[in-house]
Amino acid sequence: MQGAGLDLALPYLMLAPALLVVFAVLVYPLWEGLKASTKLYRYGRVIADVGFDNYVRLWSDPQFLNALSVTATFVTLAVALETVLGFALALFCAREFAGIRLLRTILIIPMVITPVVVAILFRLIYASDAGMFTAISLALGGGEVQILGDPVKAFIGLVALDVWEWTPLMFLIILAGLQSLPQEPFEAARVDGADAWRSFVDLTLPMMRPVLSIAVVLRTIDAFGTFDQVFVLTRGGPGESTKLLSIYGYDTAFKFQMTGYAAALFVTLGLIMLALALLAIRFIQKGTEE
Amino acid sequence: MTRSNHNAKGMSRRALLKNAAIAALSTTCLTALAMPVMAADAKKVIIGAFADGGLTPFKEKIIPLAREAGFDITFLEDEYGVTLEKWFADATSGAGQYDLYLLDDPWVPQFGAADVLEDLAAGGIDARDSDWIGPLIDMGFWPPREGPRVKGFESADPKLVCVPFIGDLQTLTYRNDVYTDGAPKTWDELIAKGKEGVAAGKIKYAMAFRGVAGNSVVNSWYPVFLSFGGHVFDDKWNPTFNSAEGKAATEFFVTTMKQNGPKGVVEFDSDQEGAAILGGEAGAVIQYSGNALKADDPAQAKVAGKLDFGVVPKQVKAMAQMGIFIAGVPKSAPNKANSIEFLKWYTSKETQAKVAEAGMIPVKRSAFAVEKPGNRLIAVALQQLDAGAEPRPRTPDWAKVEELLGIEINKALLAGSGGGEAMDSAAAKVKDYLGQMGYYQ
Repeated sequence: MQGAGLDLALPYLMLAPALLVVFAVLVYPLWEGLKASTKLYRYGRVIADVGFDNYVRLWSDPQFLNALSVTATFVTLAVALETVLGFALALFCAREFAGIRLLRTILIIPMVITPVVVAILFRLIYASDAGMFTAISLALGGGEVQILGDPVKAFIGLVALDVWEWTPLMFLIILAGLQSLPQEPFEAARVDGADAWRSFVDLTLPMMRPVLSIAVVLRTIDAFGTFDQVFVLTRGGPGESTKLLSIYGYDTAFKFQMTGYAAALFVTLGLIMLALALLAIRFIQKGTEE
Repeated sequence: MTRSNHNAKGMSRRALLKNAAIAALSTTCLTALAMPVMAADAKKVIIGAFADGGLTPFKEKIIPLAREAGFDITFLEDEYGVTLEKWFADATSGAGQYDLYLLDDPWVPQFGAADVLEDLAAGGIDARDSDWIGPLIDMGFWPPREGPRVKGFESADPKLVCVPFIGDLQTLTYRNDVYTDGAPKTWDELIAKGKEGVAAGKIKYAMAFRGVAGNSVVNSWYPVFLSFGGHVFDDKWNPTFNSAEGKAATEFFVTTMKQNGPKGVVEFDSDQEGAAILGGEAGAVIQYSGNALKADDPAQAKVAGKLDFGVVPKQVKAMAQMGIFIAGVPKSAPNKANSIEFLKWYTSKETQAKVAEAGMIPVKRSAFAVEKPGNRLIAVALQQLDAGAEPRPRTPDWAKVEELLGIEINKALLAGSGGGEAMDSAAAKVKDYLGQMGYYQ
């Protein structure tokens, strides 16, 4: 009887340490964040319970709406470019030829560099007074190249940085997906006379759909949290052209010390990301069923 | 014989190891014997600071003096952008990681309103000492002794929660081969002679300044705004920076100054501003002491010897922004008594004289009279204090106000026009924000 009880409890006992850790580092902070989002903070202290007021206020805050729009544009552009480029590179590198291993290694280097270092590198490239583009332009008889001082160019520059840094991740995931595809359908298509394009459209793309969806979801969630690069490169400027939600939330929480409002902002951001992830999972499931 | 020969030639491996072990043990013992003497007597003080050139003389010359005076100083430095959040979290959570914060003065209201700093007057620091420079010691009080107060603190007794540490303020750094008659007295003179310098090929542009949205651009705009006679708020916290004076100053800033500055000035921050003057490209900059202290060092300034300091130019008055390093002791400090004692030592007449000799801008007036100040900027700093210098408004919400103001100025700077409209737009946003924070109830 005692032995049976222990057998019953043993799995839970074995799981308990992991559950405790998850509770301590995930559930508890999340709960505290949710609680904070319903409070009004002044001078580092809670002064009132405001229910969902912070959430309501967000939608009439022009800075939040701007940051949301900038973030959505940034994520869409960056993830789309990274997916296309990553796919192209993966298709190229899926073949075996001399030097391919070295090439694959070189291609993932940007991904392993610390984001802050990447941002510093790009700041040195983009700087109008001493940047690489300006140096090249001056050597060719041109003038100073303005990137970070122009809202559109600064935004494109930020997207370019992200694409440079994170295309390797997409490349790596997609390459792994390509290498695990069964070869028989492709051989059958070749026998039936299908050219490379037809095979790609009718076989590769549909079979890669689950892998692509996972890659896009992972990268989208990650891109929503982009912070270090903007913090170093533009701090959200010029104007508010590169002010992502992460930067606005950070400023709101730490510089302006509006803890409750910032918590509401991040909970909203989390909900948006959760909705996107759920949509993507449905999309993957639908693709797999088909 | 053989043995002695062997010994004479060299040491066996065993002997080498044995001797090394003895040496290591002796060193450890000696260190251990010496350390307790230091640890037992020295008063531990953990100082938190943000990285800034203005603190270099403190690190190099004053900390060794403090050690001689019996303080065991641990100096923890961080990047400016992260110190506020780190220290505020330390103070409000009571973590006790620091004994002393070297704050940027606009943070005093945030820490003061949160009631997380010690009352230093209660600890024995005398704010009534006539040797203090009045406007500097005023900045250490929360709520402020003069001027408007934010809601909730209208009738509170002002407490000395911080003491001035380095009397930093903006002054003009200019090229003496361009401005040959000395510091330009007016903005018009600065621009006109700067243009001549550009035409003569001595410099690339008349002046450099910071254009990055937020704190950076506001810092550069502020002395222009003050010198045109602008005021940020009235005594009821209504924005007044969109007055005729404020609009004229901003128009001048985003048009004339931009036209005579570097092409990419919108993306310029303090590092590029410093590089522009130290690298010989700019004719003049208005800056704090961090970069100014490098002006005479050929290792850091291409044009060492060609840079002089002066009071900021005037339109109606020669006003600069004060932005001092100011020291506060958190209530959670593990070595509170030591920190206060350190501050008493640091702000004593004798140490302040050493501070001036080390090249830092002192906070006591008597120290400006030392025979050999460590930097020629010190005398100019006193001239600027006497000519006029103002701190930023004493509100815990200054960071947000500065952000809203900075975005609009940055946008106008980018466009190269629309300074007046920028002020109106910023005023509406600031008013709306402060209204939400209960300023007008």
